[in-house]
Amino acid sequence: MTAVVTGAAGGIGRALCRRLGQAGHDVVAVDLSSRLEDAVAMLEREGFAIHLVEADLTTAAGVEAVAGAVRRSGGLQVLVNNAGITRDNRLVNLGEDDFKAVLDVNLGAAYQLTLTLVPMMGRASIINVSSRAYLGNFGQFNYSMSKGGLVGLTRALALQLAPAIRVNAVAPGLIATEMAMGIPDDVRTRMIAAIPADRMGEPEEVAELVAFLANDASSYITGEVIVIGGGRSLSR
Amino acid sequence: MTLRCHSPRLAASLDAWRDEMTGLVFVADDKTGEGWSEVAAELTDAFHLAKQSLSNGLAVVFVVHSDDLLGRNGPGKAMVATGLLSAARTAALEHRKAGVAVNVVAREEATDPSLVARWCGFLMDGELPTGQLIHLGSEHIGKALP
Repeated sequence: MTAVVTGAAGGIGRALCRRLGQAGHDVVAVDLSSRLEDAVAMLEREGFAIHLVEADLTTAAGVEAVAGAVRRSGGLQVLVNNAGITRDNRLVNLGEDDFKAVLDVNLGAAYQLTLTLVPMMGRASIINVSSRAYLGNFGQFNYSMSKGGLVGLTRALALQLAPAIRVNAVAPGLIATEMAMGIPDDVRTRMIAAIPADRMGEPEEVAELVAFLANDASSYITGEVIVIGGGRSLSR
Repeated sequence: MTLRCHSPRLAASLDAWRDEMTGLVFVADDKTGEGWSEVAAELTDAFHLAKQSLSNGLAVVFVVHSDDLLGRNGPGKAMVATGLLSAARTAALEHRKAGVAVNVVAREEATDPSLVARWCGFLMDGELPTGQLIHLGSEHIGKALP
């Protein structure tokens, strides 16, 4: 039972690798960061079967590197498209390079990798890690567009690939990752104050939701977007 | 008005309202295929035109197909439609204090182009509503939102 996790070196990515490993998957952990080696070493020490693939998924060679690892594994049951970057700015100040970089990584790479790996899947589950920002978020025109695009990708593939392959999306809000901890303290405090749950989410909570969607316990769920944001989609 | 529309019939209807409109109407291309380069080109075009319009304090309306929001016509068109919707909501948030509206109109196969044009004109007429998705039809009822 192989699971591919992209963006594996980040906070949510590491939690995904650990949780899917706990569920009995051989995990192919994909990232382009050198941090990936530390993350994989940590998970291996915990006894999980983790295979490291350092790849830039915006390139054909990067996608092929993942496909090669999956071929060697003998089949793919779970794909989690989690890789994502931000280049925040108001639209009127947003440059084309920052616009395209975010679109290519967050949406283009997920799409290209999925198209490549689907022929290797039998009965399987694809989970796209979108973001609560798909509902709109100040200063994130590019990020919001890319994460919204993932919602459309999720719906279209859910229709095309049913019933063998289920496709769903999760849309995390503010999660306690390195990215969130990089936000200035006063800003982060104000953000948390607007969350009815009165805290940031934990990467492990996102991983638990993804593990559920990867599992047969969710076999009647496809084409859905599940927001995991502590109620932030409702508050002022 | 800046009009980006590859459908001659819809373009003609929108053009008839040109004097009433002072912003951007961007109609998602029905012919966008499944290749990533096509999807990226369409979204990049929307980025440039929306940035230009909003930088000049002018409203934006993205026109998409209802079926594409639900992914019924394949991933290429779906990524464009839902990407535009999310981007519109973010742009609306960024420009609400300035009173510049950004909205999305979702048409169906049978929607009269003149109805699309009238709604685009209406949505550019004032400051509000903004950040809205207007469905011109009833196919969306009972289906996923937004």
